[in-house]
Amino acid sequence: MSEAAGTAVVSTLLRALAVLRFVVLANTVVLYAQHHGRYPHATAGAWILGAIGIWTVVAVKAYDVPRLRRWPLLLTDLAVAAGAIAVTPYVKGDHFTGTLPGFWVMGPLLALAVCWKLPGGLVGALVVSGFDLGTRGEFDQSRWRDVFLLLLGGVVVGFVSGLLERMAVERDRAERSAAAAEERQRLGRVVHDGVLQVLALVQRRGAEIGGETAELGRLAGEQEVALRAYVQSTVPVADALDPAVRVDLGAALSALSTTSVSVAVPGTRVELGAHAGAEVTAAVAACLSNVRHHVGAGAPAWVLLEDLGDRVVVSVRDQGPGIPAGRLEQASAEGRMGVSGSIRGRIESLGGSAELASLPSGTEWELTVPKDRP
Amino acid sequence: MSAADAGERPEERSEIRVMVVDDHPMWREGVERDLAEAGFTVVASAGTGADALARFPASRPNVVVLDLQIPEPNGVAVTAQMVQQDPAVKVLILSASGEQADVLEAVKAGAIGYLVKSASKAELIDAVARTAVGDAVFTPGLAALVLGEYRRLNDEPEPAREESQLTERETEVLRLVAKGLSYKDIAERLFISHRTVQNHVQNTLRKLQLHNRVHLVRYAMEQGLDDGTPES
Repeated sequence: MSEAAGTAVVSTLLRALAVLRFVVLANTVVLYAQHHGRYPHATAGAWILGAIGIWTVVAVKAYDVPRLRRWPLLLTDLAVAAGAIAVTPYVKGDHFTGTLPGFWVMGPLLALAVCWKLPGGLVGALVVSGFDLGTRGEFDQSRWRDVFLLLLGGVVVGFVSGLLERMAVERDRAERSAAAAEERQRLGRVVHDGVLQVLALVQRRGAEIGGETAELGRLAGEQEVALRAYVQSTVPVADALDPAVRVDLGAALSALSTTSVSVAVPGTRVELGAHAGAEVTAAVAACLSNVRHHVGAGAPAWVLLEDLGDRVVVSVRDQGPGIPAGRLEQASAEGRMGVSGSIRGRIESLGGSAELASLPSGTEWELTVPKDRP
Repeated sequence: MSAADAGERPEERSEIRVMVVDDHPMWREGVERDLAEAGFTVVASAGTGADALARFPASRPNVVVLDLQIPEPNGVAVTAQMVQQDPAVKVLILSASGEQADVLEAVKAGAIGYLVKSASKAELIDAVARTAVGDAVFTPGLAALVLGEYRRLNDEPEPAREESQLTERETEVLRLVAKGLSYKDIAERLFISHRTVQNHVQNTLRKLQLHNRVHLVRYAMEQGLDDGTPES
């Protein structure tokens, strides 16, 4: 979608360039018509200008199609310009002031700059100047001035084209983020007062009635939690995958809460880098999956997130019998990496520590992770 | 949470006057019915903040069961005004889960309990009974919010005053509540009595509310808004 915004910018620039192409073509034809009597091969020159005119129409049509804006078209365009410069001595004789295509070479050069940005503009200007100087075999002040202007024009237009494209992509992304956030807010307001309340009510009444209805209530409760987590999520959709983005660990962990899992977080954002946030969340999910496996499917568990300034501490507690001391180390030594890998490994790779305590009131993981600076 | 010894007998419950504030008729009626069946006296109900404040003085409830998301004024403002009018009133927030910041604001404004809407009927009745005798009703979520708030206050450039800091023991108790331990489990783990656990929890709320009032007064003085005489 971002590419579409960039393509739109290039299309607009190329359409503006199309107008310029016809203006400079008209300029070239008029100048040629005024002086053609003096040229040794005036008729051949007229045919060549006619061909350039036809190519101009073809090129303008082709540049309007995004998928055709590739090297065959761009290089053919440049080759037409170079060829027209190269035949100038034949048409006009050895001593000429302007090349046969004249200002028309601007078209292919600027098309290169628009499509391939700064490098395209630079290469286009070098090729055109090279042919220009090559056909004359003499350098004076005015030739150098032309070369300088060609280089300057190609490079500046290439740079500006790149800049415009980047800005369009940025703006497009910002607009989409804003639209997504707005939609989420709107959805949040609508959903909050309707669906979520009903889901909570179904959950509550279901549990009271019991039997199959209790199962319905449990399902309603899970959906309530999931929907609320989505609606309240503060990370813009477009930024979710950007590693430089800080994520709110509180929001991420809250999404893990179910009817049997309570997640307690501070009222303020607990920010971590996206990678650290995802790893801690995955480690907590692994702890909770352990609880389901070893204690029971609907076994209650409690997650507590604390922000201690320089580090965050996540505790995951259950009421199970616990894991005998040394059992984890033994499993790890036997090559069964399950718990060690998914919990300890993740946390230790972030420079933190994962401690397991077995108490009479249950088992408790305490995951401590240093806070990375933004 | 362990059952409180307060308000367990219906004849005692009938002396507890309850007001229910929620903008959803379905919810309001459900809560009213549950409380009435359990023996409480439901003296009033309201669907908006304005209605709630209008009916509050005449109905003189002991306990207000309050939803935070109600038409203006919102639950936080309603809590603050009710507590100001009648410092003895006990406000129990019954709110959809996840309205973190609002819950903390309501507690700072004087609410003494918080229960999520998905809580069972038994939990609701227990919470109202405990709220009526002044016990703070903490969910693990509220404990984490309060813990976070104290840590935030400590991080502020202006050092927190001693009375608005938690003792080590209070922090320990609050952490255990946030990890889902019942008061009974906490008492066993820390070798203290059930009542002491309850006192510690209550102290954490009391100090936070005190800090909030001091903060508001100081703010008012700085802004030159303290010209009027205090109402209470």
